[in-house]
Amino acid sequence: MRVRLIYSYQVVEKPILADIILKTGLAINILEAKVNAQKGELVVSIPIAGRELEKILAMFKEAGVEVQKFTKTLQIDYESCVSCGACISPCPTRALSFGPEWTLEFDEEKCVACRICVDACPVKAIEAQL
Amino acid sequence: MRNIGGKELSRTSESREIRSIEEINEKIERGDAVVLTAEEMIKLVESSGVEVAAKEVDVVTSGTFGAMCSSGAFLNFGHADPPIKMTKCWLNDVPLYKGLAAVDGYLGATALSETRGFEYGGGHVIEDLVAGKEIELRAESYGTDCYPRRHVETVISIDDLNQAVLLNPRNCYQRYDAATNSTDRVIYTYMGTLLPNYGNITFSGAGQLNPLCKDWNYETIGIGTRIFLGGGVGYVIGEGTQHSPKKGFGTLMVRGDLKQMESQYLRGGVFHRYGVTLYVGVGIPIPIINEGVASTAALRDDEIFVDIRDYGVPTRPDLRPVVKHVSYAELRSGKVAVGEKDVPSSSLSSYKAAREISEVLKRWILEGKLLLTKPVEPLPTQREFRPLKIEKKELRVGDAMRTEVVTAKPDDDVRDVARKLVQRGIDHLPVVDEGKKLIGIVTSWDLARAIANDKRKLADIMTKRVITALENESIDVVARRMAQHNISGVPVVDASNLVTGIITTDDISKKLIEGGRTTV
Repeated sequence: MRVRLIYSYQVVEKPILADIILKTGLAINILEAKVNAQKGELVVSIPIAGRELEKILAMFKEAGVEVQKFTKTLQIDYESCVSCGACISPCPTRALSFGPEWTLEFDEEKCVACRICVDACPVKAIEAQL
Repeated sequence: MRNIGGKELSRTSESREIRSIEEINEKIERGDAVVLTAEEMIKLVESSGVEVAAKEVDVVTSGTFGAMCSSGAFLNFGHADPPIKMTKCWLNDVPLYKGLAAVDGYLGATALSETRGFEYGGGHVIEDLVAGKEIELRAESYGTDCYPRRHVETVISIDDLNQAVLLNPRNCYQRYDAATNSTDRVIYTYMGTLLPNYGNITFSGAGQLNPLCKDWNYETIGIGTRIFLGGGVGYVIGEGTQHSPKKGFGTLMVRGDLKQMESQYLRGGVFHRYGVTLYVGVGIPIPIINEGVASTAALRDDEIFVDIRDYGVPTRPDLRPVVKHVSYAELRSGKVAVGEKDVPSSSLSSYKAAREISEVLKRWILEGKLLLTKPVEPLPTQREFRPLKIEKKELRVGDAMRTEVVTAKPDDDVRDVARKLVQRGIDHLPVVDEGKKLIGIVTSWDLARAIANDKRKLADIMTKRVITALENESIDVVARRMAQHNISGVPVVDASNLVTGIITTDDISKKLIEGGRTTV
C-alpha cells in the first residue's frame, strides 16, 4: 500500500518514520520525499495490508503525521485522450504505457501521484485525485 | 537495407511508370482499385516483395496526427451595421492577426488567450469552432468615414462565418529529431517534459505512416494534391515553411475548409510552460505510379532514422548536440540505449490516430469519395533551411563579466574571507584549488551563516556544485540560468575549469543600460 505522509512544522524534525521502522521491523520504502524546515511530504510503500496496515497508519497519526492513502490516484478521460504518449516517458515509475493497439494504459499500482503526467498531457485528459 | 535519413535512395529502373493517376481514378470510380494502408503495404512487401506489390497496389494511404504549431485559420466575419474596420480582434480573448481587410483575420494556433494564458489559445479556438461551440467575438477600431463603428462584441459559431479556411504554413514534417535533456533539472519544451540526466526521450511523427516518408522523393505529392485534412478534404498548396528536402526534412503547406472538418482530428494542445498548439490530422494518398514509390511507401520504422538531440543546450535547433542516431522503431519500442542505460522513450504525436486516419482515407477512396489528383507542380527538392542571419553582435558573457576576480582557497579562514568580501564590496567568491581550478563558491550570505554557526574552514561551508558560465555564451542564456537557480552571480570558466571572470545580475543590468538590450 502506498501512502502519502504529511509532516507539519511541529513534527518535521522528528525521526518518526525511522522510529516506526525500528519498532515494527517493516521495510517501508520511500518513493518520494520533499522535506524542508517548515514541512515534509513523503510517499512511502508499506508492504502490508488490512488491519496490520491500519495499525501502522495509526502510529503515524499518533505521532502527528497526516496520512493519505493512494486508492484512486489518477483519472484519465479517455474521451479526451488522443493516445499521443506525451505522458509516458516522463512518468518516473512507468505507470503509463501503450497497450497493444497504441492506446494509453495506466497501472494504478505503480503510480505515486507525482503529477508529472498531469502537466505533460497536451489535451489535459489526466486529473490527479489527491 | 535501404538507409533513409542519411543516404539518398537510389533512383534507377524504379522510375518506370506502372500506372497513371488517371488510370487509378478510373479504377476507383469502377470500384476495383486496390487500396492499402501503409501498414498493410509494409506487410505485403515483406511477404511478396516490392515488384509484386507495385503491380498489385494502386494506392497506399498514410496518416499522421501531431502537434503542428505552424497552423491557423483565415476567417471572414461579415459586416456589422454600422460596419467596423476591425484593427484588433479577439475570439474567446485570443488575439487574431488583423493586418488584413476590415473583417478578415488570421487565427494562429499558438496565439495565447489574454486572460487564460497557457491554458487556452488559437488551437483551442479552432477546435471549439469545429466542434460547433459558440465563441465570443470582440473587435476594436479607430473608426473611418466608411467604417464608423469603433467597437463590437458578439457571439458567433462556425456557421456564422462566411469563410473558415484552415491554412497551415507548415505541417507534416517528413521526420523530426527526437529530444532528451542532459542537464540536472526538468525542462519543459515544445518536445514535452524532459527529465534530468537523460531521464527520457520524446519524439514526434508517425514514421512508417508519415505522408512524406511514404513518398520519400516527392514523386506524387505536390501543389494540388487532394488530402485528408482534419477530418475533411484538403489540399497541399505547396512546400511548407522550413522545407528541407536535401536533408530529408520536407514539409507541406496545406489548406482545407474548416466547416467540413471534425474536432476529433483538430485538437488544441498545451505544452506545459511552453505554449499552446494545434494537433492536426493529415492523411495523404500515395498513388503507386512506379516501383520506386512502391518501395518508399513500404518503408518501415526501422529504416527511418533521426537524431536524438540534447535540448538541455539552449542553442539553435541544428546546433543542439546529437546524442544518438536512432530509428523510429527503436524510439517507438519504449526505450533507447544511450551509453550504459536504457532511456524510456515516448511519442508526442499519436500513432493510434495516425493509423485511424490512414484507415479512414482508405475507406474514402474505396467508396469513391476521394479521387486522386496529379500535382500541378512538384515539391522543390533542392531547398535548404538556413538559420537567421544576425547582423548585430550579440552580447556575450565575455562582454559584461569582470575579469578581476577575487578568489579564495578551501583552507582559508571564514573570518578572513568575510573581511575580504566587505573590503571589496562583493557578494560572490569563487573558491579555487592550487592550480586555480574552480572547486566551489561562497556568497556573503553563506559567510554570515557560517560565522553565526561558528564554522571556521571555508571548505566546510562552500557550495561545491557551482553553476558557471562560459565566456562565449549569450547573456540571455546565462541570465535565464541564474533566474532558474535563483542566484545572482556565476563564475566564468574556460574549458579546463580555470576561473577567467565573474558575472552578476548587476553586471548584466549595467551593461544593458549602457548598451541597449542584448546587442552592443
